[in-house]
Order: sequence, then structure tokens, then C-alpha cells
Amino acid sequence: MPGRMLVRFMLLQKRLLKKGGFLLMLCLAPLLAAGIGRLSAESAGIAVIALYLPEGDASAQEVADRLLKDGGVFRYVPCGDEAEARDLVETGEADAAWIFDEDLTERLEELGEKRWVRPVVTVVERKDSVPLILGREILSSAIYPSFSYMVYAGYVRDELGLAKMTDEELRRVYDGAAVEGSLFQMVYPDETSGETEDFTYVQAPLRGILAVWFTFVGLAAALWFMQDEEKGVYGRVPVTGRLSVSYIAGAAFLLDAAAVLLLSCKLAGVFTDWKREVISCAVFAVCVLAFANLLRMICRTPRRLGMTFLPLLAAMLAFCPVFLNLPYFKAGKLLLPPWYYLQSIHNTRYLYEMAVYTAVLVLVSAVWQRVQSRRW
Amino acid sequence: MKRTAAYFLAQLKRAARLLPGQILADIAVCFCAGALVCLLIAQGAFAAEGTRYRIGMVGNLSDSYLGFGIAAVQEMDDSRFMIELVPMSEQEADEAFRRGELYAVMRVPEGLMESIVYGKNDKFVTYTAMQGQQGLGTMVMGEITDVASMLVTCSQSAIYAMQRVLSEQGRGDEIGWETDKLNLALIQMVLSRGEFGEVEVLGYGDGLSLELYYFCGAVLLFLLLSGLLNSALFVHRKIALYSFLKARGVGAFRQVLGEYLAYLLLVLAGLLTLCLPLGFGLARGLLAIPEWEGMGAAPFFAFLPALFPVAAMFAALQFFLFEAADGIVNGILLQLICGIGMGYLSGYFYPSAFFPETMRALGDFLPSGAAARFAQAGALGKIPAAAWAAVFVWLGVFMLLAALFRKRRMGR
Repeated sequence: MPGRMLVRFMLLQKRLLKKGGFLLMLCLAPLLAAGIGRLSAESAGIAVIALYLPEGDASAQEVADRLLKDGGVFRYVPCGDEAEARDLVETGEADAAWIFDEDLTERLEELGEKRWVRPVVTVVERKDSVPLILGREILSSAIYPSFSYMVYAGYVRDELGLAKMTDEELRRVYDGAAVEGSLFQMVYPDETSGETEDFTYVQAPLRGILAVWFTFVGLAAALWFMQDEEKGVYGRVPVTGRLSVSYIAGAAFLLDAAAVLLLSCKLAGVFTDWKREVISCAVFAVCVLAFANLLRMICRTPRRLGMTFLPLLAAMLAFCPVFLNLPYFKAGKLLLPPWYYLQSIHNTRYLYEMAVYTAVLVLVSAVWQRVQSRRW
Repeated sequence: MKRTAAYFLAQLKRAARLLPGQILADIAVCFCAGALVCLLIAQGAFAAEGTRYRIGMVGNLSDSYLGFGIAAVQEMDDSRFMIELVPMSEQEADEAFRRGELYAVMRVPEGLMESIVYGKNDKFVTYTAMQGQQGLGTMVMGEITDVASMLVTCSQSAIYAMQRVLSEQGRGDEIGWETDKLNLALIQMVLSRGEFGEVEVLGYGDGLSLELYYFCGAVLLFLLLSGLLNSALFVHRKIALYSFLKARGVGAFRQVLGEYLAYLLLVLAGLLTLCLPLGFGLARGLLAIPEWEGMGAAPFFAFLPALFPVAAMFAALQFFLFEAADGIVNGILLQLICGIGMGYLSGYFYPSAFFPETMRALGDFLPSGAAARFAQAGALGKIPAAAWAAVFVWLGVFMLLAALFRKRRMGR
């Protein structure tokens, strides 16, 4: 029996791989992944900030160095003067402009001595938004190191009565005591550090897009099986045995698509490690196979199955963490195979849940098949 | 011409048979989207104070400084509008995390405060985000934690430097008192750090609000992917029939034209089905779009005709993809990958301004980009000639390509 199933699988695989259109369709996923992965290397940001900093000012230079360092979620456009920065906002080329005072160092010294926080930057915005609120936090944190030094210097001179201490002496002590490094570390549930993965938010949705695509390969396989069934290809297979045959047909599609999924993740730059990826992908493939076949049996005709595609796609894009991760509708998420796959990459618990869900789907399919065959 | 019209009528009949099912599926999509929006409203996601990230705090929170820090973030700091910190036990956090009620869990290690007070900073607060792999949300959270780190370490540096100065001056007995004084001053300044910037808001200008941008994006995405719904029209196609039609004087282009017009009517029917709940939502004030505020559904229905050329272009694109694909299965997968790929590149999911320059240029060039420019200009009430030209050039290209593929198929 397993030998016959293998022969059937190999024949289906041969039939598929002979179709140029199918191979071409498989190539599109890695092409998209590689293209976006490559294009995302350029600088990008969730908001564009026009930056005007006075030339020759030491504090302004420090602030600029902090803001313009690589890896942030904002894109900065340095401007020659205030008018240019404002103009970029007015024309919509920038979301906000940060215009620093001409005498920034003097102003920070003055505020530091008095231990006051007062405006040193004019923030011009088209409209207040969540990214720009975050932007103002980043702006404050870029100014704060220079300001906290001024506070320290002012405190030592005024409060401690050491007015004669020179700038060099104050700086020497400060640099000697300076504390650096982050206090926070992102970790995944499997204890992997977030720093081990190096990709941008432009690449981040690619795994989700590929997972949705993979689910649709499973659904397309179910549709293909239905068409073959209508043509009488499986006429000699008894109705009770159709489920296992449909699994073999789907497996032929999904084996190729799984290889493409792994390759595409690698090309997109979201790949983790081979063992984890292969195991997650294998369980996901079986889950998609069971899901697509149950849906095929419920819908019964290719037309009805086709009608479910758009609502299903809408549900997957809304509920699975592809573009956004809504903390709602847990029950709806539990029905969608891509949700388990996307969560399972760094959390083995979801891998087990996906396996349990697959078992439930297979069981329901078997019961459904039995009920249907009795009707016949 | 008479035969082309007859062929069109025959195709129209085929399309009409699909219509009830298509309307049902459209209603299902609208129902899903409507339920999503209603539940989000019910759970306060669109509340006036905006969405707050709920973060569970677990671990050793007994230190009074840490308790003060959490209370300050919750009560006084600007970040209270973005973050809600909820102290809880490890078990409670795990359960809430599994239920999807927390955005992230922060774990405070033993001895964190000692590590900070003595300037060692060798203990990390670890945070685990709900998202499977890093996404935009986790990256934004990374920025927030970088800000918090910077504020703490710079304050530490100022205090330790002051302590060293006192030690060097032989005034070690004053360290405790002066440290408390400087510490309090720095905390006060950290809490009022938002005052470093004086904010000037210019208003919308000539651009689109984010709400209208996403409204256009959602409608266009629906149109772009509606080919998935209409796939049944392309089942059971026979080359023999095309050759027979050609022999009767209906050539490849006329066949494509007849089938395309019927297909277009199906796409337009889908669009109109979608418009009814959207118009209802706008009229009842359930969907708030700043540019159309207080005007009910009237601006939307005035905008609707601007979507027809876009629908015609997307219908041509879908028709071409089904024609180019070898079989219905490949056709569906082609529709999906092209639809999502084009939609992503042209900013239907994230604003295109988020992307690098080359990616934005590519997204603008694609048919989905031309459609976005056309629809966005239509929403503002003025469509430039270039936008009209781009949409009609793409429409023409797809029709031509579809006819060429049909001709090639008949020649096999």
C-alpha cells in the first residue's frame, strides 16, 4: 500500500513538473522575496524628518551623530536652513521638521545650569501621528545626553561650589564615569536574542506573505484534485479512499511549494536556522494539506471552493501577523494555519498546537468522508 | 461585429450565473471586515487616546525605586499614552500572553536596581513580544527601549561623575545627600523631556489623511484581488471553441473583448456590493475620514466614479493573468502572488513613504501604483491627465497581451 501511494505521488509529481506554467508560478515567490530583500537594503523610515542643525555647533554635531546613526526607523533629510526644512513639510516631502536653535550649545548650557527643560527645537508637523509621537521621544533622547552633561556641569559649579573647575576637568571626570550600553534586550520565547536576526521592517512581512501564498498552493491543489475528479481521473478509486488520494495529490504540490518557501525565506533575509525552519515548514505543510482538503469536502464543488478564496485571504491578512498583529480574535486565528506557522518560528508551543490542530482537521475530514460516502 | 456582440451576450450569461455566489462572497468579506471594525471599536482600539501597548511586567518588582519608576511611567510620563505597564506574576503573564491580551512581557531580573545604582549595568530587562518573528511593532518597541536606556544611562553618568568630583575633592560625606538632590532633579527633567520641542502642527495641507489613504488602499486591494472570486469563469475553457469562433469570424481580439466586457461587469458588480456597506458606514459615522467629516456618504458616492477606470484596468490585469496562466490552478496562484506583491510594493498595506526610494519608484510604476495615484487624486476631487493616461495605457497593454496570448493558444 505505501509503495502504491509512493508511485502515485511520483507520477503526480512528474505530471506537475512537466507543466511550465506551474514551474513559472513557483518561481514568482522567490523572485518577489529576493527583489524585496534586495531593495530593502536602501535607507527607509516610517516617517521622513527634515533636520536643520546649526553648523559648527558642538552639541548640534553630537545630536546629528546620534540621529543619523544607522538602524533607526526614521529617515532623516539634512537641510541647509530653516526655510528649506519647513518647505519640505509644507510640500509633503517630509512628515516633520526638527529645527534646532542656532545657539544650541549656549542654550543647553543655560538650561542645564538652571536645571530647566525648555524648547530648544521647533518641531513642525503636517499632522500629529503615532510615528511622530515616537519621533519626539527619539528627539528628546538625542538631546538628553548633551543636556544631562550640562546639568552635571552646572550642578558641580553652582550647587557644589566648584565654579573654578575647568571644562576639561569636568569632561575628564564625566567620561571616566560614563555608563554605556542598553538595559533592555529583546528575546523570543525560545530564548533566542532578537539581535541575532538582522532584517528591516520592509522585509518583515515577507514570511507572512509567503505563508499565505503557501496556504493558497494547498487550496489550489484541492481545486486541481476536484477538477481531476470531475474528469474521472479517480473514477476507479472508491469514494471511501478518495481522502487519502487527495492527500497524495496535495502533497505533490506542497512538497515543491515547501522547497520554494524555504528558499524564499532565505532570499528574503528572514531565515532563522535550518532545523527550526524545516520542522516548522513540514508541520505547516501537513496542516495546510489537511485544512485545504477539509475545505474541499465542505464546499464540494470547485465553484464554491473558489468563492471562499477572497474571504479566506481577507481573514488571513487581518488575523495572522503578516502586516499587523492585532491582539484580538484569538478564536478566529486558531482556525488559520499560517497563524500557527508564523508564531511557531520562535515558539515550539505553537508547533505542538499546529500538530494538534492538524490531527483535529484530519479526524474531522475522516468523519466527514465517512458521512458523505454513506450518503452515496 | 454582430457575432462579437452575440459572443459578449453569451459570456454575460455565464457571468450572470456566477453573480449570486460572487455577491455572497463579497458580503462575507464585508461581514468579516465589518465585524473586525466593530470589535475593534468595542474593545477601545480606536479610542480617542489611541492604542496603548499593554505590557506585562514580571520578576522582582519589589524595589522601591523600580516601583516609583513604573508609577512615574503610568502617571506622569508622556509614554503613558503609548504604553500601559501591568505588574503581574509569571503565571498570570503567561496566561494573558497566550490569550493575546499582552503585547509583550518584560522580565525584570534579580538585582537589576543594584546593578543600576552601582553603575554596572550588567543585568538586562528582557522583553518578549507577542509577534512570531520581529515586525514593525517589535522594531518600534526596540526604539522605545533604546530611548529608555539612553535616559537611564545618561542620568547615571551625570550622578556618578558628580560623585567622583566629590570624592576627588575629599567631600565623600556629602555624596548621599547630593546624589538624592541631583537624582530628583534629573527625574523631574526626564519626565518633562517632551518640552525640548515646541510643536507646530500645520494641518493636512494638500495631502491625504492616513484614514483616507488606507480607505483608498483597502478598496483598491479588494479590486486587485477580486480575480480570486471570479476564477470560476475561467474553468472549462476549450481551445477548440476559440478555434471554432475564429473560423466564424470572431478573432482573438474580439473574443478577448467580449469575454473581458462580461468579466468587467462582474468586477463592477463586486465593487458596487462593497460600496453599499461602506456608504452605510460613512453615512452613520462608523467610518471616520477627516476630509469627509460631517458630510455623510455624499463625498464617497461622488468619489465612486473615479474607481470605475481603476476597476476596468484591474479587470484587464486579472483577465490577462488568467489568460497567461496555464490552467485555473496556476491562474489563482498567479492572481494571489501578483495581487499581494503589487499591493505591498504600491503601499496598500504600509504607506509607500515607508519604503526605500527604488522600491517606491517601482511601486509607483506598477499598475497598482497607477491605480493608487488615480484613486487618491479622485478622492481629493482632481485627477491629473498623467494619472488618466497611466491607467488607460496599462489597460490597453493588458488587453493587447491577453489577445496575443489567446492568439498563441489558438495557434498551438
